[in-house]
Amino acid sequence: MNSAQEAQAAQLPRRIIKETQRLLSEPAPGISASPSEDNLRYFNVMILGPSQSPYEGGVFKLELFLPEDYPMAPPKVRFLTKIYHPNVDKLGRICLDILKDKWSPALQIRTVLLSIQALLSAPNPDDPLADNVAQHWKSDEPGAIRTARDWTLRFAQS
Amino acid sequence: MGVVVPRNFRLLEELERGEKGFGDGTVSYGMDDADDMQMKSWTGTIIGPPGTAHDGRIYTLRIQCGNNYPDQAPLLWFRSKINLACVDQRDGRVDPSKFPMLGQWRREHTLETVLTELRRDMASAMNKRLQQPPEGLTYN
Repeated sequence: MNSAQEAQAAQLPRRIIKETQRLLSEPAPGISASPSEDNLRYFNVMILGPSQSPYEGGVFKLELFLPEDYPMAPPKVRFLTKIYHPNVDKLGRICLDILKDKWSPALQIRTVLLSIQALLSAPNPDDPLADNVAQHWKSDEPGAIRTARDWTLRFAQS
Repeated sequence: MGVVVPRNFRLLEELERGEKGFGDGTVSYGMDDADDMQMKSWTGTIIGPPGTAHDGRIYTLRIQCGNNYPDQAPLLWFRSKINLACVDQRDGRVDPSKFPMLGQWRREHTLETVLTELRRDMASAMNKRLQQPPEGLTYN
């Protein structure tokens, strides 16, 4: 760490420092998250597409930010890689209950990222954010899965 | 140093505020292309303030939020022709050297505060009686 980062870290709540250390030292399988150099509340995240899912073989980039009132408020997370998924909209915003009303300070960055990874394995078209994608999923699941696979090949290669 | 909200999350906040609507609706804004993950191109709208030469007019602006927004000011161009001291008549650009909120940009400023300030500027003593071009003309 350089001196600017040390000064930043000194102001960071202990909870965030501990979570960050653990994310770096014991990363969850298929997930990496590292704080950006100039903002220790802002993380570059990578999630590997889970096997047996249409996202298998893809590397998905996300960004995560811990707002001022974290952990009382949930982290903010967004996909940076284009993804065809009923619970992710065109801007990469994610529909996931724990990022909204089901958030609890007992959850962590790690749990959030694991939940997003799980969402890739189990798309939920009944609680959609991207309406047309969800409709595609409900009316023609094999077709939707083909499109998701196609997008993974086109946009999610590292 | 306080908590710094990074560009993309700041723009997502502004987008949500713009979608919900705010104030009395006399200024508004939205993204041009719902697919643009970079969130660069925006359109703003200002309804001309009553009691001025702008009364009843609806002005649209093109707004660009660069990679360094909000550390750096956005760029704004009027699409609709308007006669205002801070607007370059060649292309409708809002000239930061003549519009302090852009020239002395601060991170706390937002698209909402810029548009609101432009509307206030239309009603300033310097601008409110300026003769205006016919309605419906645009810069190219």
